[in-house]
Amino acid sequence: MAIVEMETMVKAGLDRAVELMALAAHNSFRFNDRNTVKIISVGHEEMEQLAEYCFSLGDMSPLAARDGRHLVQLMKEPCALLVMGDKRRSDFNYNCGACGFRTCKELNAAEEMESLTANGPSCLFKNINLGIAANAAASAAHRLGLHCRVFSTLAFAAMAMEVITDVDVCISVSVSAARKNPYFDRHEFWTRDYWDEIFAKEFPTYNRGFIGAVED
Amino acid sequence: MERSIKQYEIDRKEAVRIAARLLLASGTTTPRVGGVGECTIHIVDDECDIEDICQKMEAMADIKKSWAFFRRDAAMVRDADAVMIGTSLRSLTDPADINCNMCGKLVCEYLKDEEKLPAEPDVAFTGPLCTFRAANIAYAVDGMVSQARNLGIDYGVYWSVGAAALRMGLLPRDTGFALAVAISITEKSPFRDIPLKYDEINQRTMNDRMINRLWPQFRSIYS
Repeated sequence: MAIVEMETMVKAGLDRAVELMALAAHNSFRFNDRNTVKIISVGHEEMEQLAEYCFSLGDMSPLAARDGRHLVQLMKEPCALLVMGDKRRSDFNYNCGACGFRTCKELNAAEEMESLTANGPSCLFKNINLGIAANAAASAAHRLGLHCRVFSTLAFAAMAMEVITDVDVCISVSVSAARKNPYFDRHEFWTRDYWDEIFAKEFPTYNRGFIGAVED
Repeated sequence: MERSIKQYEIDRKEAVRIAARLLLASGTTTPRVGGVGECTIHIVDDECDIEDICQKMEAMADIKKSWAFFRRDAAMVRDADAVMIGTSLRSLTDPADINCNMCGKLVCEYLKDEEKLPAEPDVAFTGPLCTFRAANIAYAVDGMVSQARNLGIDYGVYWSVGAAALRMGLLPRDTGFALAVAISITEKSPFRDIPLKYDEINQRTMNDRMINRLWPQFRSIYS
């Protein structure tokens, strides 16, 4: 009888799981049955690019930098990344006002603002449809027993690096088959001193008590 | 001892009450962008309260053509046993400060300076809202939907209910955006198989007609 090693099974299981997550996301609820969400799975080579890009944002976005470093760690064990996106214009004709325009027609005619993170203004219901897809993928991952976290930063990077194209807003779902849950309590990225310094800067009253006190 | 049908009806209502709270639990624990809590979920499981919301939806349906479907939604929601309304409390007044440009204003400071739409009858949500924040509702809604599927109960998702509840002042102050999940524990889902003109022709309006016998088959075929 053939023996299959654990690593092989975990790798194959993860690949299959990602497909099932994409399926769950694809089949999840959509407002007005507008299933225009684009879903891609990102390979290791692209993930390296995303990590590098995120890390390069450094001081401009400490969150992105942290997620970039985290992605490098993540890739040492089996992991996968689903990126999903959608166009920004409304095809709902709900005329709800949430985007700041009275009608969908006005939104669709408005000047497009491009940026590295998203192109706006975008229809809120497009974003809601996208979010529901992301949550459905995360929910499927949870049921399949995978470690999972939803990242905006990695999705923004994927859009900036043109890993996902032809979309205006996007979100990513990262999953991992690591030995321990890698997504929470990521203390390995900070030294104790650095952490104390940032904490003191962000929450001065915690140590000082009186905000009017002068610091030398 | 023979069990009464009335007891079944009481137990069914109790099941709705429990299920609604389990859905609330699942919706509450879904992800939030940036890990910042800002959504609430409100359960409306009183028939009279649901009726109030439905009447508001019907009133809103007359405001503009693109909202005409609110009347159909009201016909469905009237048959719901409970309505769960998810809110976004920060999207209106407190942008996420992440400069994501989803709203098209490039940075959050510009969004803060932007004038909001006036609270007029034809404006459901007084945008521009912080899209990044409001997207949290999508997670909350899918959390509820996913739990409803686990529990095997019927559900429907409606933005018309959220808009009506917001207009009625049912939701916390500063609610920017609201969506609703209606649930039903009945033998036939009131949210599926919706024929044309459902606001006029549905189980309720057909009840006292001679064709009552034919209606269930008609509904199955022509929907």
